[in-house]
Amino acid sequence: MAREKVGALVMLLFSMAYGLLALKIPLSFLAQNEFFTSRTMPYALAVLGVLIALLILVFPTTDPEGKRSLREETHGMDWKTAILLVGGMIVYGLTMKWIGFIISSILFLLVGFYILGERRIKRMLLASIPWVVMLWFIMSSLLGVYIAPGELFYMLGGL
Amino acid sequence: MWDGMINGMLTGISTTMIPTNIGMVLIGCFRGSLIGMLPGLGPITAVALMIPVTYGLEPTTGMVLLSGVDYGAIFGGSTSSILINAPGEAATVATALDGYPLARQGYPGKALAIAAYASFSGGTISVIMLMFFAPMLANVATSFQSADYFALMILGLTAVSAFAGRGGVLKALLMVVLGLMLATVGTDQTSGVQRFTFGSLELLDGIEFLLLAMATFALTEALSIVLKRDESSDSLKPKMIGFKSLKVTKKEFKKIAPTIGRSSLLGFFVGVLPGAGATLGSFMAYGMERNLASPEDREKFGKGSLLGLAAPEAGNNAASSGSFVPLLCLGIPGSGTTAVMLGALIAYGIEPGPRMFIESPEVFWGVIMSMYLGNVFLLILNLPLIPYFARLLAIPRNLMVPMILFFSLMGVYLITFNDFDILMMVFFCLAAMALRLMNYPMAPLLLGFILGGLMEDNLRRALMIYDESISFMWERPLTLGINLATLFILFFPILRSFIASKRRNSVRFD
Repeated sequence: MAREKVGALVMLLFSMAYGLLALKIPLSFLAQNEFFTSRTMPYALAVLGVLIALLILVFPTTDPEGKRSLREETHGMDWKTAILLVGGMIVYGLTMKWIGFIISSILFLLVGFYILGERRIKRMLLASIPWVVMLWFIMSSLLGVYIAPGELFYMLGGL
Repeated sequence: MWDGMINGMLTGISTTMIPTNIGMVLIGCFRGSLIGMLPGLGPITAVALMIPVTYGLEPTTGMVLLSGVDYGAIFGGSTSSILINAPGEAATVATALDGYPLARQGYPGKALAIAAYASFSGGTISVIMLMFFAPMLANVATSFQSADYFALMILGLTAVSAFAGRGGVLKALLMVVLGLMLATVGTDQTSGVQRFTFGSLELLDGIEFLLLAMATFALTEALSIVLKRDESSDSLKPKMIGFKSLKVTKKEFKKIAPTIGRSSLLGFFVGVLPGAGATLGSFMAYGMERNLASPEDREKFGKGSLLGLAAPEAGNNAASSGSFVPLLCLGIPGSGTTAVMLGALIAYGIEPGPRMFIESPEVFWGVIMSMYLGNVFLLILNLPLIPYFARLLAIPRNLMVPMILFFSLMGVYLITFNDFDILMMVFFCLAAMALRLMNYPMAPLLLGFILGGLMEDNLRRALMIYDESISFMWERPLTLGINLATLFILFFPILRSFIASKRRNSVRFD
């Protein structure tokens, strides 16, 4: 199946789900008698989404790039590294609150460099610590923005 | 009208000449050139990456910085196109067609210098035209009502889709609809009703524009470098960048001057069309010059022609400035980059559109006048620094990619201080990556998202004025005119392919 068609199918399902969720948007008693409510735009968009997705599915694909299948397009891609990086971002988001901006950011950069194959420790440290500390300094000292240390810091009795 | 224009220009000059703003133009051009030079990162990403920095600045200063980043990134993109055949973004693809062969023949310095001169001339001519056209259009647009705005926004969204290229119209329209859908998430401003928040407090204010811009452009660009194993930057070692000379002879100047003039004019008018942008500007300029060239010059196109290099460079810079006309005058972005800037304007609390010309003249004229200064800076700054800038291309991707990811995530986190936003960015990045793999464009999505709220407001208001009837779409002459233009733009590609197939059939019959 052409990758464009796969996309259209996904968007068709998404538009249908969006339309169904739009039915659940709460309306006040007065709003129910109005012509244009909070549901109107979502309804129109859901219908448009379904219609355009169906048109893409029905009409033949003319874009030569779009004719390729997803398998062909993704063949030979470096999925492992990309997934590890995405995992790194998720862990970064989850740990930021606990270990604080500076430590989590330095760790994220170091892990990112490592995932992408960098092994020279000195280079890794030089490309991470100065940037993070500089950003923290600019925010907290120059712009006066308070960046809270991690929860763990408080738990360990820090001020 | 002339008095107003002269006063405006004086306002613009006095705004731009403040040391802070001069500094911002300089920083913008410099940062834009650096980011734009990195393979895979274009002006949209460059502007998106800089938006967090501008949040603490005055709106004029912020916009001056962002526009500097925009044309700096376009210029920077040509450097990677010429030196390693890796266009930073679509607008500089045409530059690589002749720029890279010229560099391979041993003239990288000359190729970069011609690109710099052509960019400067294209940008300058375009800014002069912007000075005349923008106030005229803004004056007309002050008589616009909600109905016209609604129609205009549909025109803008349709135009972006119509220029999407062969077989891309429906896909771009679908992405516009997806962007509009995402814009409905959060609390409805008029009724106060929550929509698609799933009970999450973080979604009450809707999706942050910057979060979406960073996730769909910066993060996905970085991930796609990894996914596609794009190691173009790794292959370039600093010692490979040798420069014989940046000098362009008088004869060569004479030869490329008419090309630059024509391409700049064409680029500007292409850029003014909502949705056309710098990519179309560069390709149309390249195509036009190829058609106009003498047979022997035409032979050289694609093999290192000076004309083939100057035309797209002048065209894309002129179109880039031209795309500010619909942004500043109508509040409709002319390109993906100006769509991001529109979001920034809204974030600064400025209502984009013709009223901006009256209510915030310092922003309107400040941006225009700063562009002229920016073009001069780009030339002065970049020509001597070209050999040093080019060394940036040698940064290995194993250091570059995590840095891009880090600065993108931080760009959003340091504004909201909400770690949930980092997770949401990852979610949108994955969704955008999947859509990109399925060959769906991202710029229309962002455009739909930015215009979604304004569109709904204007439609609601227009319906109230016209007693809940959509007759305003054809009863009001101005709205009708805009709607007819929308229909023309939407059906023009179909009409064109129909005419082309008829012509082919008749030739075959003969």
